[in-house]
Amino acid sequence: MDTSRSPLEPSGFSRKLAATIIIVYMVVTLIPITWIVATSFKSVDSAISYPPEVFFEPSLEGYVNLFTNRSRQPKEYLDSLPPPETWYEELVRSREMVITGPSKFIGRYSNSLIIGFGATFLSVFLGALAAYAFSRFKVPLKDDLMFFILSTRMFPPIAVAVPIFIMYRKLGLGDTHLGMIILYTVVNLSLAVWLLKGFMDEIPKEYEEAAMIDGYSRMQAFFKVVLPQAMTGIAATAIFCMIFSWNEYAFAVLLTQFNAQTAPPFIPTIIGEGGLDWPAIGAGTTLFLIPVMIFTVVLRKHLLRGITFGAVRK
Amino acid sequence: MKSAVKNFKGLSDKAIAWIFITPTLILLLAINIYPLIYAIRMSFTNFYANKIGREPKFVGLKNYQKILGDEEIWEKMQITAHFVCWTLLLQALIGLGLALLLNRKFKGNELLTTLIVLPMMLSPAVVGVFWTYLYNPQVGLFNYVVNFFYDFGVFDMIGSSTLAPWSIVIVDTWMWTPFTMLICLAGLRSIPNYLYEAAEVDRASKWQQFIHITLPSVLPFLLLALLFRGIENFKMFDLVVELTSGGPGSATELASINLKREAFEKWKTGYSSAFAVILFVTIFGFGNVYVKVMNKIKER
Repeated sequence: MDTSRSPLEPSGFSRKLAATIIIVYMVVTLIPITWIVATSFKSVDSAISYPPEVFFEPSLEGYVNLFTNRSRQPKEYLDSLPPPETWYEELVRSREMVITGPSKFIGRYSNSLIIGFGATFLSVFLGALAAYAFSRFKVPLKDDLMFFILSTRMFPPIAVAVPIFIMYRKLGLGDTHLGMIILYTVVNLSLAVWLLKGFMDEIPKEYEEAAMIDGYSRMQAFFKVVLPQAMTGIAATAIFCMIFSWNEYAFAVLLTQFNAQTAPPFIPTIIGEGGLDWPAIGAGTTLFLIPVMIFTVVLRKHLLRGITFGAVRK
Repeated sequence: MKSAVKNFKGLSDKAIAWIFITPTLILLLAINIYPLIYAIRMSFTNFYANKIGREPKFVGLKNYQKILGDEEIWEKMQITAHFVCWTLLLQALIGLGLALLLNRKFKGNELLTTLIVLPMMLSPAVVGVFWTYLYNPQVGLFNYVVNFFYDFGVFDMIGSSTLAPWSIVIVDTWMWTPFTMLICLAGLRSIPNYLYEAAEVDRASKWQQFIHITLPSVLPFLLLALLFRGIENFKMFDLVVELTSGGPGSATELASINLKREAFEKWKTGYSSAFAVILFVTIFGFGNVYVKVMNKIKER
């Protein structure tokens, strides 16, 4: 046995081997994502060529198709039109089509943003209050209440979807932004309470006690001392709630149709002529995935905590 | 100390505790528990949610009898079990393997971890959509790569009833292996160095160290990861709906997808509520037993 190094340090060779395998896995696992992003910059023809084209002439056709509705026109009609004014009109004309108006994508995307931000704000705010109470005070049946809050996450969404559907229809909340914000808030609450309780447990009690000795009331101490101290945890929790609302599909597809539908149920329905319009779907997917990827990089230190409801901390 | 704090100005601690907790509890009761109780009540009736005005009739346990005696439902449960078992097995093995490799601290470790984790942060429905493109028998990249290594000719991962159950296993494993990996990695990093140092002193081989130190320390973490994945995959809906929509025929019709068809296409509210209750009880029961076993292993 080589005694010059600590027995715990893996040897240079085994470390290199491990790094190589990990890099190979990383490359393979990122191919599907890279591929869909690449497809968004292909032309419709290039996206359905075989063998799949790795090198291709980039085109913005997918993005143009994503944001517009188009209709095919006879050549005589196209010739009779004034020349196209913009580059995207020209692109559409070259496919013998004209733009008939904007598509629904922007509406669906902003629905995702409105509902996501609304639900995130509410669940983090309510979650922070509840988490503080659970963290600092003697609450009767504390463990049972905490478990009850967690268990609401175990329901299959479909199981409660029908009653919620009926309830929302009666209350006039069906297919509204407010209805979806309330629903996503509730789904996120369990995560928010559990994560934030963990973060608040880590803030020493002495901080607020000192503030209270200085004349703060308990409420003031909470808002002016504890909340600022918990800011990192609150931000991490907020991003997790945002990602959930952003990605949610089951409730969105079952409970919304026209007014409050978010992007995930919409993207699969982007259809071109003679089948799915892959560059446009790729473009929608890319625009939809970018925020989540940025969030993931921002979150990397808290990922583990978030995905385990705070059960595992680094 | 406690009594000293009590006499400060403002509301009493007890009042604040309830003011802070009540909104959360009310929301959960209104949007989670009320619907659940409603579903349980409906499960004893022949209610159809699309027929407004028709009084639902109490039918006792008929819905439950029908479901538990229905061979088709058992088929769906088998399809679900196939999906859950294979995804858990693959994600446990690959995830633990990756964690062991990542634990040999090399340069760029953190960056690689973040990149590998990306798939699991994406929207499952959107992932399902773009995998239908990768699986396309004529132009799909997946099919091209497979044929590059061994020429199978034209094959359809989603359209063939023998391959479709595996197509969903592959995508779920691709997406969620980082989850087990991350949690196992946390387990590995929690093992104190002195355990290995002591083992070296005792001249234990690397293999013995792995079996007697590494594995037992990581096991509770791995089991926790599998609990989360097990629950999620048992109620799996979004990914598979967009990938195969339960087909071909009903080859990949998992329990949740079947439930959606009964509840939102046939509008058999009473019947589907009973099925929902059965699913919920199954998840809850399995979960409880699993947690008990997990705690026993932890205590050892």
